[in-house]
Amino acid sequence: MNARNAALVPSFQRPLSRVVIRRAANYEQELASLIYESLLEFKLPMKNKTVLLKPNLVGLDPLGIMNTHPAVIAAAREVFLRLGASQVLIGEGPAMDRDTEAIIESVRLREFAGPLARTFVDLNVDDVERVPLKTHASRLKELYLPKTALGVDFLVSMPKLKTHHWAGVTLSLKNMFGVVPGSCYGWPKNVLHWAGIDRAILDINAVARPDFAIVDGIVGMEGNGPIQGTPRACGVLVFGDDAVAVDATCCRVMGLNPGRVKYLARAGTLLGHIDAEKIQQQGESIGSVRQPFAVLDAFRQMVERGEGGFWNANCD
Amino acid sequence: MGTGNSNLADQRVSDRMGTQTEVEFVKSVGLPLLRSAQNPDGGWGFHPGSESRPEPTCWALQALLQCSWPEIPEAAVRGFQFVREAQLRNGAWPSARAEQVGCWVTAPACWVLLAEKNSSNAVAMGLDWLCKDWPQDSTLWRRFLARFSSQRHILPINNSYRGWGWTPGTSSWVEPTAFALLAFGECPAELLPPAAERRRKLAEAMLRDRMCPGGGWNCGNPLVYGVAGEPLIIPTAWALLALRNQPERRENVLSLEWLEKNVANIQGPGSLALSRLCLDAYGRGWPNNAPEFLRFHQRNEFLKNIQVAAWSCLALGAKRPFLSVGLPSGKTS
Repeated sequence: MNARNAALVPSFQRPLSRVVIRRAANYEQELASLIYESLLEFKLPMKNKTVLLKPNLVGLDPLGIMNTHPAVIAAAREVFLRLGASQVLIGEGPAMDRDTEAIIESVRLREFAGPLARTFVDLNVDDVERVPLKTHASRLKELYLPKTALGVDFLVSMPKLKTHHWAGVTLSLKNMFGVVPGSCYGWPKNVLHWAGIDRAILDINAVARPDFAIVDGIVGMEGNGPIQGTPRACGVLVFGDDAVAVDATCCRVMGLNPGRVKYLARAGTLLGHIDAEKIQQQGESIGSVRQPFAVLDAFRQMVERGEGGFWNANCD
Repeated sequence: MGTGNSNLADQRVSDRMGTQTEVEFVKSVGLPLLRSAQNPDGGWGFHPGSESRPEPTCWALQALLQCSWPEIPEAAVRGFQFVREAQLRNGAWPSARAEQVGCWVTAPACWVLLAEKNSSNAVAMGLDWLCKDWPQDSTLWRRFLARFSSQRHILPINNSYRGWGWTPGTSSWVEPTAFALLAFGECPAELLPPAAERRRKLAEAMLRDRMCPGGGWNCGNPLVYGVAGEPLIIPTAWALLALRNQPERRENVLSLEWLEKNVANIQGPGSLALSRLCLDAYGRGWPNNAPEFLRFHQRNEFLKNIQVAAWSCLALGAKRPFLSVGLPSGKTS
């Protein structure tokens, strides 16, 4: 059973979540081996599974600073095939621009992942299915969602490590906004903003729930993300079988307190773990890779006041 | 093969149509794809074999009609029927047949049904729905509240101008506003509701207000947190088409310049097709350094997107102007 069909379980009944942090200095290095070794830690049963990789391709990006890097996407695709998956699709529904092909060309995805006519799914224009919402965190009662995202055996959220000018941070959970089809809700998917971004993130992730998350934190984005922020080299890839735990870990890497990110705090009650003691941490320690990210004034409350009175030095 | 090629065989066939090679591409690839992708219910999905949806059906119909003119192909007759049957009781069109809520697709549906003589009532109902569908971000109450909001500097837009949202109960955005204006512009006066003129004026003002500082449009956020938004090709093309009756206005001039300058950098066939339609509508030449449609098709097969294939057919193979209302005489630049 994939995560989308699983019942929601209160945090206190959930098993420990597993997160692995790996150092990756740049996109030129051999990423497939690194990802392969990291995924082996999770013993994922991928034999004959269909997989959808959902990167964050938010807009035209000739400088390669705002989207999940194609090298990471291509390497993950190769690894899932190596692990026995029968089909690994790449799917995204960009929020601001309906020319999806222009976006994937601007990030040079074809150069890294090969011909896309049969491997890339534009989730904005996929066939849709009516899905009643489970959590009713927002005022939305139902959403029409892409059949590809609902039908695969294994859904992987692959965001970039970024701050976000409306939601605070955009990671594995916020990345799932991209499965909501523009062909039903427009560009941008404004109905989600009217429903409340924080609450809509919960509703979407309860029904289009990622089975796994891989965060591209090799170069992230700080400040006025997700588009107009400043690139921030962080040198990490973060993996996990619980998107909430992965996002909480990424927040800690960014010097932010996940409990002060509204939607993450709520997600911690039903969708996954944000408490550090409920997350089995492997690979690099958070302290060894922590890179305090600058945030907009509106999100200063997220900044971690950590052990020993540590303040995120980049909040100003 | 490219439009910049000086070879006689690759000169444009007419002001509206592409080069011989491009017209041949429409005949041998574009139109056969559209014809073969029509579903038994008369509609088109976004991809061959996918469920029929109103929006791609409208664009496939436009392409078939304009490329077959003056004939009305049998496929179009079945397409009209699909569009008529997809209309909701309140006059609006949904984005998918199962949905019970109308949306921006109402404008392209009205527009395409104007070509079908039995659809006047359906069009009138659709236009009436459009006139009654006000965006929620600019209600009197919200405008009053916005005066006291500490966040009003984040998105400095004039919210007394009102266009259309993608879906009811949301904010005004550039593309749905442009679609509604285009539908109004194509419609004979006797079908337009009395409120249409007021909506048109407000919507045109809204589009001009939302232009990015250096020209061009994105989805509708010209400035966020004091940072200028980057214009995008598709919203710019639609906004310019919707405002084409005022070619001398500063916003049009700046945005046309931006579009012409950026055609060379276009990376997607949808953007390329719409920029071609837009520059043609303004009587502008096609830049010599524009990318080639055929190369785009060879690259990713347009991701099998029917809507993009339809826009490409309209841009390269339409036998009559895409928009019946052109620029005022003597205004071509």
